[in-house]
Amino acid sequence: MAHIHLPEGSIPLWAVGLWSALAAVVLAVAVYRLRRDGLDARHVALGGMVAAASFAVFQINIPVLGGVHLSLSALVGILVGPALGAIVMFVVNVLSAMLGHGAWGFLGANTLVSVVEVAGAYYVFQLLRSSDWSHFPAATLATIGGLAAGSVLMGAIPMVSGITGVEISGLDLGIYMLALVAVNLAVAVVEGVVTGSVVSYIASIRPDLLGDRTPTAGPEVTGS
Amino acid sequence: MSGLSSHVPDPRLLTTYAEHEDSPFHRVNAWTKVAVLALLVVAVTIADGLAAVWALYVAVLAGYAYAGLPVRKLLVWYTLPVIFVAAIAGPLAFGIGGRPMVELGPVSITWEGTATFVTLLGRGLTVVTYSLAIWMSTPYASIAHVLGRSLPSPIDQVALFAYRFTFVILEVVEDLLAGIHARGGRIQSDFWENRSLYGRIFGHTFIRSIERSEALLKSMNARGYHGDLAVYGHVDRPPARELLAVGAFALGIAVYAVTVAYGVMP
Repeated sequence: MAHIHLPEGSIPLWAVGLWSALAAVVLAVAVYRLRRDGLDARHVALGGMVAAASFAVFQINIPVLGGVHLSLSALVGILVGPALGAIVMFVVNVLSAMLGHGAWGFLGANTLVSVVEVAGAYYVFQLLRSSDWSHFPAATLATIGGLAAGSVLMGAIPMVSGITGVEISGLDLGIYMLALVAVNLAVAVVEGVVTGSVVSYIASIRPDLLGDRTPTAGPEVTGS
Repeated sequence: MSGLSSHVPDPRLLTTYAEHEDSPFHRVNAWTKVAVLALLVVAVTIADGLAAVWALYVAVLAGYAYAGLPVRKLLVWYTLPVIFVAAIAGPLAFGIGGRPMVELGPVSITWEGTATFVTLLGRGLTVVTYSLAIWMSTPYASIAHVLGRSLPSPIDQVALFAYRFTFVILEVVEDLLAGIHARGGRIQSDFWENRSLYGRIFGHTFIRSIERSEALLKSMNARGYHGDLAVYGHVDRPPARELLAVGAFALGIAVYAVTVAYGVMP
């Protein structure tokens, strides 16, 4: 997933407040929608487990571009939808910040980036599946689309905020952020392929998790 | 955490320190620790210059060491934040003009750029060190209580489930990686050749986690759970001396902000 990796204190206090407030609004909307639609206990547990899985997957190093960690935010969106996905990604960002991956001051900004990824991937996946695309290309394209949108926001946030102590601004900063977005797009392709494979695997084992028809010989859930 | 990235702190090790060690910092109220975290983020954000930032870092590191937390491990855990600063903020900082320190052909690293880089590094490491100290000194019950009281439902419920089951899912991932290694498989080689392997690892992790959540829910429902995960621990209000310390820290930051950082008052 795209993630603003600038260290703590890189943006001014007003920007920390701005992005935090916007993220709070987005989370409030997500909470409102979930409560309005009648969130049941199953979804709460599912959200917690998916958050834990996303956080655990993040611990695996993929030897591409010098080492990449994926949190599979697009997969979270495809599995649980944009509203619960927003909450899941907020929790993943909190856990990541606790470990030093992502500054607390960027918690709001990173949550916004994650929400864009989650929502983008969810809606693109639904659109492609409704057009009879198979799972792998639909999930791969949805992930790349969602992460690309998130990467653009990731590049825009430091542009709007400015970076403390760094004189580079305007066009120069824009070019630099564009380069970062380009690197993220390369990672998005990696994550797209992985997510496509994951969704194909899930579709073969538990298609009901993707809103598809349950297979006639599907495994019964017995717990661990 | 065999098979997983060693430069990422293992949540199980962090929690072991929280549950089994004891120090003055372990005994600090959880609400006080969270309040200081918020103030520390503000402090490093407005801190002006190298000396102020690194003074904060030294203070936090001294507290970390005094609490008996593992300093050598900390150096390994710094890998990720240091790489991020070097890779993301480094090029920006080294693009700053000024007196050349090192000249590499047409490119030069200036003293001003180096100072900015080291300042950014200090800002990051200060808060990372404190965050890890919180995790390693606050028992699960206290963290659950703070999460349950500070976040609205269902965010608190998702956070509580996620925190509790992070440990279970880590074991699932580790078992999968161990199984792959036992069969001669390697994921630390070519990505494209192994992309379906990654897909299965991640897919299986998600399916296992979802199935665990379904099985868990059944057992919780049988015990009367209807969507509100009980918070078993209780954290009292911070004692007066801690409130005074937090107040003094906040006041100090406010005075620094108006006199030094923003120059509102001389």
